[in-house]
Amino acid sequence: MTLTAQDWLNKIKTLPLTRRVRIMNVCGGHERTISMAGLRGALPQKVELIPGPGCPVCVCPEEDVYLAMQLALHAGVILVAFGDMLRVPVNVPKSEPRSLEQTKAACADVRPISSPQEAVKIARENPTRQVVFFAAGFETTTAPVAAMLLEGVPDNLFLLLSGRLTWPAVAMLLDSETPGFDALVAPGHVATVMGPEEWSFVVEKHNIPAAVAGFTPLSLLAAIYSVLRQLLEGKQFLDNCYPEAVHPGGNLTAQKQLGQALHVADANWRGIGIIPASGFALNAQFAAHDAGKQFIGYETEGRKRVGDMPPGCDCVRVVLGKIYPNECKLYGAACTPRTPIGPCMVSDEGACRIWLASGVKSHSTIE
Amino acid sequence: MCLGIPMRIVAIDGYNARCEAKGVTREVSLFMLQDESIEVNDYVIVHVGYAIQKMTEQEARSTWELLDEMLAAEANAPENS
Repeated sequence: MTLTAQDWLNKIKTLPLTRRVRIMNVCGGHERTISMAGLRGALPQKVELIPGPGCPVCVCPEEDVYLAMQLALHAGVILVAFGDMLRVPVNVPKSEPRSLEQTKAACADVRPISSPQEAVKIARENPTRQVVFFAAGFETTTAPVAAMLLEGVPDNLFLLLSGRLTWPAVAMLLDSETPGFDALVAPGHVATVMGPEEWSFVVEKHNIPAAVAGFTPLSLLAAIYSVLRQLLEGKQFLDNCYPEAVHPGGNLTAQKQLGQALHVADANWRGIGIIPASGFALNAQFAAHDAGKQFIGYETEGRKRVGDMPPGCDCVRVVLGKIYPNECKLYGAACTPRTPIGPCMVSDEGACRIWLASGVKSHSTIE
Repeated sequence: MCLGIPMRIVAIDGYNARCEAKGVTREVSLFMLQDESIEVNDYVIVHVGYAIQKMTEQEARSTWELLDEMLAAEANAPENS
């Protein structure tokens, strides 16, 4: 028998929940489905769905965005990046461009792309120009970047990589004194590539129920039911509610390619700081395509920085699932998708943007 | 950025494929699935122009149906900019 979303919802409603259960998701795609399908309103009040660190654009270091802007402005390059990276603001005096998009007004050649293959195409079409591909993303996006490198890229294509692994941020939260959640919905397409086993530590080390979910309301509700039931029965295991795409071991070819092109390194998360072994860096054989090694003199070490996030912006606590987007003072007032102040209002995967786009004006607080 | 979409393979040329979903066609790389046997009319999940996994036709169709419902809700959302 195939269950519908309504069936899963009914099953959830029959569960004898006696206390509040906080379920964290770590994927902008999950948060989008939850918000657009109105799952929060449909679930029992005791079930809280908390958006956590699921937006690679939001945690891309401010100095990486600034460096990309400097390359676009002063190195004469064509700067290409996934679309939602272009509007991410940095902290600069009001007279200066605040985002890659704004550098275009100063004649910088900045172009949005939707695939690494487009970066290769632009480099091939402009053999006399240097092309810098500013690539922020989690494993699902970084694996195609690795594939692009291995398939062969033209000499004039350089990579400014802000690739991140998803699970170390969750591990950091769980290792802290206040993780802030009782169960985890693990990201479906990260698990498709990397294998669901990456998330076993949540169950085995921390005794927290976990379920991998896909991106339909049906799959998410199945995962929510699974973790609630695990909690009630006291039998935690890593469930897979997206078996159509998530296979044991994941995509081994993609993982092999990731290892051939890139290696795992300590990485900075905007506003959060360095998380050990949470980022990707280019292997030595691709040093000739490493923008960080090939464009010297554009480093930003001497730059006076105001801070990681703009004044008043609470993106860090939103990303860590400490507050809901509407608890930020700027949400929906000074900060909107049309006039974003923090990165969470810029990206399609940012919780603030998703909440405002789906019409959330106010909501309860987390604590 | 992270939303992977099921698409049907229409044509294959080496590691490159032309894929279709809902009348939209797109060039898709099969590089990450090079160890799988892939044929025309197979369904794959496409993310940033790369096929990341195979899917059955039935799974692809039901995913599309559910995503469609959600996208329709999104189109009617009040502040979609």
